[in-house]
Amino acid sequence: MKLLTALRAELLKTKRTSSLYFTLATAALVPAIFLLNVLTNGGDVAAIGKDPLNTIFKLGAERTGLVFFPLFVILVCTLLAQIEYRNNTWKQVLAAPQKKRNIFLAKFLNINLLILLFLAANLLLTALVAVVTHFMNPSLHVLQHSFNWTRLFTRTANTYVTMLALCTFQFWLALRFRSFIVPTGVGFALWFTGMMMSFEFQSSLVDYFPYSFQAFPFIPDFQSKMTQINLTSLGYATVFLLLGFLDFRKRRLTS
Amino acid sequence: MDQQLIVRTTGLTYHYSRGVQTLHNIDLRVERGSIYGFLGPNGSGKTTTLSLLLGLLGNQKGDIEIFGQHLHANREAILGRIGSLIESPSLYGHLTARENLEVYRSTYGVPASRVEEVLETVGLADTGKKVAKKFSLGMKQRLSIALALLPNPELLILDEPSNGLDPAGIIELRALVKKLNKEHGMTILISSHLLGEIEKMVSHVGIIYNGRMLFQGPLGDLHRFQKRGSRLFIRTSDNEAAYQLLHEHEPEMTPAGMSVAYNDDTQVAAINRRLTDSQLDVYLLHPKETDLEQLFIDLTSARS
Repeated sequence: MKLLTALRAELLKTKRTSSLYFTLATAALVPAIFLLNVLTNGGDVAAIGKDPLNTIFKLGAERTGLVFFPLFVILVCTLLAQIEYRNNTWKQVLAAPQKKRNIFLAKFLNINLLILLFLAANLLLTALVAVVTHFMNPSLHVLQHSFNWTRLFTRTANTYVTMLALCTFQFWLALRFRSFIVPTGVGFALWFTGMMMSFEFQSSLVDYFPYSFQAFPFIPDFQSKMTQINLTSLGYATVFLLLGFLDFRKRRLTS
Repeated sequence: MDQQLIVRTTGLTYHYSRGVQTLHNIDLRVERGSIYGFLGPNGSGKTTTLSLLLGLLGNQKGDIEIFGQHLHANREAILGRIGSLIESPSLYGHLTARENLEVYRSTYGVPASRVEEVLETVGLADTGKKVAKKFSLGMKQRLSIALALLPNPELLILDEPSNGLDPAGIIELRALVKKLNKEHGMTILISSHLLGEIEKMVSHVGIIYNGRMLFQGPLGDLHRFQKRGSRLFIRTSDNEAAYQLLHEHEPEMTPAGMSVAYNDDTQVAAINRRLTDSQLDVYLLHPKETDLEQLFIDLTSARS
């Protein structure tokens, strides 16, 4: 109950901020580019070929999940923590009669609500791309093909779970540093490293590097490791959350 | 714990970095129903002490009891009965006055009507949809006070609340503090670096300098302390003889004559009578009171 009270306070704090618009805008980026491609008869129309409905969702998830989704998570973690730093409100939050654990978890839940909103919006907008493709290219009969809901659900769940390790680490960094630049810069650098390790170096260390996990749901060779990576991500998330909370609890947050 | 004491710290000691002690054995005593002025120059340890009272800093040594309970064992229960404003206003600039209060309303478990009440109290009920970042500094300070009043606290902690207020704002704040104390029975702990700013409203004073308490007690005690610091300047036809005559007053020679400590006007008259009765002509008899401001400066500069 008290956690819900803290979450309500967190949701109120995001009122009139750009976080909601930022979430929707970032979620719309890939579907928008996809849509433009379809409207201009770009390469995607040919690529979606035999199984157009499932392929549209697969391509949309790949393009979002590898780049825009991790960058969104890095930014949203930092931006939400910045609400307290920018307004100099930490001391008021911590002088209120609530457990630090609830403050910490409410902030994390708020971030996760935005992440889930991102994923939901992205899927809805991708569905819109499918509808437009159907009418723009009737010969493809996009909407008459069977749709694999299980695959969509599994892919989306994997995308979310593999992101939790990155999300919790970024959340810790964002609470740890007053500066906007530090957690964002570290996050972007680690994401780039993770991508290089996955695609350029094809390193065996990607199984342990949280900033590479977002690639796993989209690389066919990695599919066999999906369960292991999900568990590793959950393990990292638990450890990072715990360390982040211990750090948050002992820190002097007087301003 | 003495039932009259609402805040009691014992041997409170704190340092931010090794070797640099910020607080030394602070024994704060705030009586229930009092307005306690916590005075000290900038950097003397006021905010650190108040931050410790609110649990914003973990105490390293010493003990804090508020409402007769140990702070760290009963943190939430105690904080639910305290309203606070620490240093600069802590407000969400993108939210309106009402929304800022609404963020904390459920946490304090107060009804929605309380938001309107406190906005009325601080004169911000008509700010409508104007967001806090567009408020003047005085308005922000008043909204911060409204936030502190939201839980209808038994203890109100205000750290330098007059920062950024114009003279009219300071007078309004003084009236508000007195009203809250008198009509609502709130105990108020208010810090400032200016004695003149708060001496008209406080009942008790604590003076801190370089992390040490120099004085603590009712304002009347400070006045008595001040009187002891008042000097009577004397010049007579024979200063040497006058010096001998007044030796029990422990006179001090000055370039123009001498000075002795005095307590009141009766004593001045008695000294004058004694000098004239001894056939000394009195050319100068100048009682000079140390005002509280001067006393505060003397107290805090004597240790530097």
